[in-house]
Amino acid sequence: MQRTIAPKRRRAAGRFWREYGWAYLFILAPVLLFLVFTLYPVISALIMSFQQYNIMQSTWVGLDNYERLFKDDTFWKSVWNTVVFTVCTVPVNIILTFVLAHFIYQMKTKWQTFFKATMYLPAVASGVTISIVWLAIFDPTDVGLLNRFLGLFGLDPVIWLGQSKTALFSLILMNWLGSHGAGIILYLASMGGIPKSLYEAADIDHASGWTRFRAITWPLLKPTTLYLLVTGVITSFQVFISVYMMTQGGPNFATTTIAYLIYQTAFKFYEFGLASAQSFVLAFLIILVSVIQFKYFSSDVEY
Amino acid sequence: MALVEFRQVRKEFIDRNKQPFTAVAGSDFVIQDKEFVVFVGPSGCGKTTSLRMIAGLERQTSGDIIIGDRIVNDLHPKDRDIAMVFQDYALYPHMTIRENLSFGLRNLKKPKEYIEQKVREASAILGLEKMLERKPRELSGGQRQRVALGRAIVRDPQVFLFDEPLSNLDAKLRIQMRVELSELHKRLGATIVYVTHDQVEAMTLGERIVVMNQGVIQQIASPTELYANPKNMFVAGFIGSPPMNFINARVEQGRIVVDGGSFGLPENIAERLSAYSGKEVVLGIRPEDIYGEDFAPGVSTEHRLQAHIQVVEHLGSENLIYFHVGGRMVTAKVHPETKGYTGLAKEFILDLRKCHFFDPATQERITGK
Ligand SMILES: Nc1ncnc2c1ncn2[C@@H]1O[C@H](COP(=O)(O)OP(=O)(O)OP(=O)(O)O)[C@@H](O)[C@H]1O
Ligand SMILES: [Mg+2]
Repeated sequence: MQRTIAPKRRRAAGRFWREYGWAYLFILAPVLLFLVFTLYPVISALIMSFQQYNIMQSTWVGLDNYERLFKDDTFWKSVWNTVVFTVCTVPVNIILTFVLAHFIYQMKTKWQTFFKATMYLPAVASGVTISIVWLAIFDPTDVGLLNRFLGLFGLDPVIWLGQSKTALFSLILMNWLGSHGAGIILYLASMGGIPKSLYEAADIDHASGWTRFRAITWPLLKPTTLYLLVTGVITSFQVFISVYMMTQGGPNFATTTIAYLIYQTAFKFYEFGLASAQSFVLAFLIILVSVIQFKYFSSDVEY
Repeated sequence: MALVEFRQVRKEFIDRNKQPFTAVAGSDFVIQDKEFVVFVGPSGCGKTTSLRMIAGLERQTSGDIIIGDRIVNDLHPKDRDIAMVFQDYALYPHMTIRENLSFGLRNLKKPKEYIEQKVREASAILGLEKMLERKPRELSGGQRQRVALGRAIVRDPQVFLFDEPLSNLDAKLRIQMRVELSELHKRLGATIVYVTHDQVEAMTLGERIVVMNQGVIQQIASPTELYANPKNMFVAGFIGSPPMNFINARVEQGRIVVDGGSFGLPENIAERLSAYSGKEVVLGIRPEDIYGEDFAPGVSTEHRLQAHIQVVEHLGSENLIYFHVGGRMVTAKVHPETKGYTGLAKEFILDLRKCHFFDPATQERITGK
């Protein structure tokens, strides 16, 4: 009996590999990439966050890094800045995106294509390039673009990036006028997906223009809005390039965001352990906020 | 009282190549109060366009549309006092059934109690009481259909407009809804304009039927009138299932000659055809007016036709026999006891009292006037 079963089993295994072997081989590549470039760094960072990290020799310090972090005013300042930045940019951006998409949607196909392309263009340029342009706009002397504009109204030049009062606002302003292309395209696609007959039914149902928007367009675009909200918040929590390029977190930590603080801690002060701890707090915040958003906004998403 | 009236209404669309395309060519009709009128015709003949012009969702290129005693040419849909049931129902997917039903009344700022009562009434009529808190996607096709109806009913409009509301339903549900619609019409005493491409639906529902083809109204008449006296070959061929047979024929000295036979003409018909002596005509005869010679109770057997049977279909309650006459396929709907099989040479009897003659050039029915 034994002898007959064994080869049978081996044959089955052989067939399995012949049929599915390639599939596993193909899956292996991305899995390896993930393990090496995502999972391994995450785990080693987690370990690092419990250590006084040194290239030569690291010492285990337990929760010391986290304790230092929570007692650090600069850290709390950076959390505050990040939250202010997020709260001021994401909703405004979504409204801007929506309004732009709404107007573009009414246009003829030819113009739609034109505006979709122009609006998307900034997304192609690197953040560094855009920041350099904005440095010129925010130039504190009276030759700066924005200051010259204020001059037209007889206003004095403002030191946009160089004073605590206006620095964070300047970054926010820059973000408002930044790229909305991706969001616009998403909105346009979902707007096109709303059946025309719903609006016709609403017309017959005595709906005013505002009611059409409130009762049909807005609720049916909610999934898109939720998506833009969640991704917008995540991106905004990680804001770095514009801070790095324009203010280096200053003046007086007025624009230090969490991501910038992590960068500073790690690469200016070489406190890798502390930086890792900060990263994990940031990650935790992002997850927390995302979960809350899903909980409160997705419950009544339909369609 | 006239309720909806079209006066020389035309609709042209501009197509991609900037060419005007006539979807509705000069329609004239009057729909009376409390009437159930059905628009029927093949796909693309302009039925939906006509309905949408009544609703105000499409502006006519020229002509006048009158609802009640107003010319409504440039009136917004909401000011026309109409309600429409769309082919795809167009229920608001994110609203509950209750919200769907009450949406129009809420926009009109009606008092809350009034809205509640209306919704209750409508859902009772349509059997939707248990589903008011559900969303449209949680309903079956037939239930959604009823919600769409309900949304129209609560509004008490002057005119109901229906665009192929049953086309998404399966055959059984369609028949059931057909009955319900008929009853609803009686119960509400409503004026209904109903669009369909299904002639059976048109015949069963309509008090009057408007037959359209390629943007042109062919005939407006009651179902029996359409069936008995079609105005032209299009109407004759469109109404009735299986459709009327057309046989090429010639009028010769008071006789009518077809491939496979010739008949003396009854007096009344001979008179009608007097102007066509020696000319070609088209003889139209319905499948049920052709009998096998072995089973033709109560029919004068004098008009006989010899033909080879092509196919016999047994439908249980009747048989369909197909054969060729003069190069055209002819269908006979005969009693199931009639003998017949493929290849059999058989004599058929035509009930010429019920046949029609058409002018082959104009396709109009020859009435002899
Ligand atoms: N918005 C439009 N632009 C251009 N042509 C149109 C438009 N709407 C309808 N048409 C054309 O007008 C003609 C009539 O269309 P309509 O929708 O009234 O047909 P219908 O009788 O309802 O057909 P069906 O039974 O298929 O629904 C069609 O040939 C159609 O292609
Ligand atoms: Mg149609």
